Amino acid sequence: MHRNQKHNRWGKFILLAPALLLIFVTTIYPMASSFWLSFQDWRLTKSDQPNGFVGLQHYQRAFTDEYFINSVVVTTEFTLLSVGLTIVIGLGMAIILQKKSLTNAILKTLLIFPFAVSPALKGYSFRFMLAQEYGIIQAIIGFLIPPLKGMVWLADPFWSLFWIAITEVWGWAPLYALMFIGALGSIPTDIFEAAKVDGATNAQVFWNITLPMLAPVLLIATLLKTIFSLKIFDQVVTMTGGGPGRATQSLNHFVYQVGFRSLDMGYSAALAYILLAGLAVVAFLYVKSLYRQGA
Amino acid sequence: MARTRKGRSWAQWRDWSVEKFWALLIFLFVVFPIFWIALTAFKETRDVYTTKVWVPLTLDNFITIFTPPFNYGKLVLNSFLISTITVAIAIPLGLMAAYVFARYEFRGSQILMVGVLVTQFIPPLVVAIPFYTLFRSLGVTETYLPLVAVYLSIVLPYSVWMLKGFVDALPIEVEEAASVDGCNEFQTLRHITFPMMLPGVITALVFSFIMCWNEFTYALILTGEETRTLQLGLLATVGVRGVLWELMAATGMVVMIPMFILSFTIRKYFVEGLTMGAVK
Repeated sequence: MHRNQKHNRWGKFILLAPALLLIFVTTIYPMASSFWLSFQDWRLTKSDQPNGFVGLQHYQRAFTDEYFINSVVVTTEFTLLSVGLTIVIGLGMAIILQKKSLTNAILKTLLIFPFAVSPALKGYSFRFMLAQEYGIIQAIIGFLIPPLKGMVWLADPFWSLFWIAITEVWGWAPLYALMFIGALGSIPTDIFEAAKVDGATNAQVFWNITLPMLAPVLLIATLLKTIFSLKIFDQVVTMTGGGPGRATQSLNHFVYQVGFRSLDMGYSAALAYILLAGLAVVAFLYVKSLYRQGA
Repeated sequence: MARTRKGRSWAQWRDWSVEKFWALLIFLFVVFPIFWIALTAFKETRDVYTTKVWVPLTLDNFITIFTPPFNYGKLVLNSFLISTITVAIAIPLGLMAAYVFARYEFRGSQILMVGVLVTQFIPPLVVAIPFYTLFRSLGVTETYLPLVAVYLSIVLPYSVWMLKGFVDALPIEVEEAASVDGCNEFQTLRHITFPMMLPGVITALVFSFIMCWNEFTYALILTGEETRTLQLGLLATVGVRGVLWELMAATGMVVMIPMFILSFTIRKYFVEGLTMGAVK
């Protein structure tokens, strides 16, 4: 018995070690290294090696850097927009498709496809479809709402951000719909029937039964989408390049520009760390709610 | 009597058509962008810059991207090899770790697990900045090493969590029965646990592959001329006159069709796969 336990313990660590070691090397090492870099002056244009310790200078600089502040505002607006739309549209889709039928079964299969489209491609595709004159979405909107005919969507600061959010909604809302359909299916149907017998309207059932029952799933979905939205980058590159002006320059895009266009590694590491701090807060809430639900 | 029946059937008809109208709207929302890119990929150049639907179709755009000067076959190969190498390392290691996390409680196991989970929330640039400088100084930017390394940082934590979910769902009694029958721990794993986990493993495999294949940020920063991936091929369709949309669309088809096929094979586990891994 004693020998067996000892054997077990070693077996355990042999199985665990390779994965943990690799995760450590590929995440903890660069994290620590970035943290250290964020206190260094290191412009690759000047030297191949860090040029010395500058203390909190990069962090101080960030909070007086109007481009940085702009990128924080853009990222926040984008996150609110894309998370809100994804959850609402995902929920709407789930409610429409929850009834079992052949059409719905086929539709549910189709819902998995947008998520498999790469974010970079989503960005290009929507940019193409929004183009003036030959963009099909632009043409359809112009046909349905004549005053918007010939609108250059991606030249407008708000609408360009909105359409980047739509690319995200397109990828995520169908997926969340599937998740919500699963959750809806686990609500006992007699609750709905009882409510109907008592004369509740559809709206009352939705607000007083469906929504509270879905609350745990909605919370997880919201936090998860928030984490991804705060990291938005690919579509900014392929759709707007951060423009018009800097109207769609997300924090990640700004960090990229500072680090890999201006080659100011120290400052960009500090900026990346500020983003990390923001994400850490959301990630903390996420882990907490995950554990509260006993996942 | 006749009136009520007529009334009821009208209400039914109305409900039916409202339902189908929304279903149609969802269908268009989901499918239309994919359809439009697919159509554009097969259009002749002069039709690309119109909104025409009924046009002659051609394979020219695909021929263009797979011949000089584009030669995207090379990018497909890079993407495929980088994704395959990453997944081939991540899934076995992830499975081993997931098994331990699911089956044993030991001091610090909870903290380790949460630690593995939160690594997924690290923004890519925090990882990319030090790796960029490191790989540059090592002179390995023209190899697959940089991307495989950073993709492991995404895929490995994800697969540990996802596979743990699948192990949790396996009844432990089966393993106990095997050990009563004289299997040692590794024999049980090999002959009992792993085969039963096959759906989970395939799901993790497919998701991990899709993540690597579709990844853009790291690829943009960490690849050299010879190791560019297919996602970067999308960028290169930007010519002096703006984006060459027919080539973008053709490349887009090569990007997305294999991923559609992969997703379709795991459609039953799609939601589970994503929520269990907490997802990158």
